Amino acid sequence: MFDKSSPYYIDFPGRIKAIQARMAEEKIDLYLGSRLRTMSWTTDAFFPWRSFIVIPAEGLPTAFTFVIDAARAADDSWLDEDHVLGFAPMGGQDQITQVSDLIKEYLPHGGRVGVEAGMSNYTPEGYLTYYEYKAFEAAMPECTLVNAHDIVDRLQMIKDAGTINRFREASRIVDVGHEAVLAAIKDGGWKGMTETEIAGLAGYAMRKAGSTFEWSFTGGNEIACGYRTGLAGGACTPATTKKVEAGEPLMVDIHALFGLACGDHSHNYLIAPATDRQLWHAKNFVDIVDLTLKTYRAGVTPSSLAEEMMAFAEDRGFADFMVPGFEHGIGMLGDEWRIGRHDGPFPYWTDPDHEYVENEVLICAMQYACPDEDIGFRYENPILIKKDCCEYMSKFPLAIEVIE
Amino acid sequence: MVKYLSEEWRAEVEKRLKAQLTPEKMNNLTSSMNNRYFNCPDGKSRYFFVGFQNGAIDSVQVGEGDGPKAEFVISGDYDVFARISRAELGSQKALMGGLLKLKGNMVKALKLASLSDRLNKIIATIETEF
Repeated sequence: MFDKSSPYYIDFPGRIKAIQARMAEEKIDLYLGSRLRTMSWTTDAFFPWRSFIVIPAEGLPTAFTFVIDAARAADDSWLDEDHVLGFAPMGGQDQITQVSDLIKEYLPHGGRVGVEAGMSNYTPEGYLTYYEYKAFEAAMPECTLVNAHDIVDRLQMIKDAGTINRFREASRIVDVGHEAVLAAIKDGGWKGMTETEIAGLAGYAMRKAGSTFEWSFTGGNEIACGYRTGLAGGACTPATTKKVEAGEPLMVDIHALFGLACGDHSHNYLIAPATDRQLWHAKNFVDIVDLTLKTYRAGVTPSSLAEEMMAFAEDRGFADFMVPGFEHGIGMLGDEWRIGRHDGPFPYWTDPDHEYVENEVLICAMQYACPDEDIGFRYENPILIKKDCCEYMSKFPLAIEVIE
Repeated sequence: MVKYLSEEWRAEVEKRLKAQLTPEKMNNLTSSMNNRYFNCPDGKSRYFFVGFQNGAIDSVQVGEGDGPKAEFVISGDYDVFARISRAELGSQKALMGGLLKLKGNMVKALKLASLSDRLNKIIATIETEF
């Protein structure tokens, strides 16, 4: 992927220079990143342990992570081993000392250090903790810490060609997972199968096809059957050992990772025999997903789309079952959930009036839930916003099949 | 018996390291280490520097002040180093307890931990007056 002729090539030095240019504009002397999304976007490596990246005004950044994983992270990253350092609980080697020592080398007389402070409903987000903030402040009394995550957020929003191609490949891999699930459950194969088995066989198929991680923090591959598909507002179903039963809905929401790009596609089935009422619910859902996919384009906002789709659902008599949200954000690993920047009415949540622009990638994410009837469906698919339409990256056909 | 960190001690360290540490035993390493001693008995700071070139002992230095730049710098009170040299305190425990401070690439330091032990074991054989 570091080969410039690769379709998956990303100009990481260019990304660093873009951050440095924004830092100069905002009079930030040094950027101290701590969010997983920032680590992924700047290093091209997965940093599962607490990590930091120090980006000086000029030159290469230096990443810091737990020493047990630093050599592996350096091996995966475009940065060399002198720019991916390990920290450990020993004199001079703890993260606060190491990071602040390096910052003081860059800024011997102090300066403005941009940090990433905020909140998220996504647990692995990685904003600076209160303790870390106070500790860095105490270790660098000459420096002023200022919140600067918007620098990275703006740059991350529009995807470059390499990132988009990685998403396409991650989505192709997810489709392989769905084909494996369908092959396994059809013709009675579902009998005796548990949600966790389906999660596992999808994972195995995707790994064979090149996925490195069922990346979702929500339990890897989310599988639900029966009443679990219809939990009120439920859009998070880590697989359980519940067995698939005849007459139940089955929701298969699987995740693949390719080059830190997140594949995420959810497909739904009805295990035979399906009642007319179940088929009515299924048709409702397929129709609204189809309409939603046809509606996404540059200029649309989350709220305008939600209004239009909920009006459709109301006309058809199933608005009570729709969760009135139709997307979540996505980017390289760690960048999940929020759409756009942090300028909406509720800080650190999606701005409902964010106007989509070309080359944004988001997950079209829709949830239909009818708890009283133990039925629900979920659709997720990474989409690329284009001028007059969207490209949906997972190509697994939109349908809710009845599995005999 | 030689005085710790004296010229005589340095000469004995260099002689024994060169005699007992072959480049193969040092994994043909090119690196350098500087121990910085604060609060020496006379109130001064001192250093002990060892440099390797392709596994061969290249330079052994002692003196007052901070000493030359090195890939790895270990700093702490004289008393802590002395306790380690007298085998009263483990170097790992001193580092883990924050009594010593290591500056340098931790990942590389991990790879060199066994080599450092080999070096320290040889130095510990010198009859030393602290």
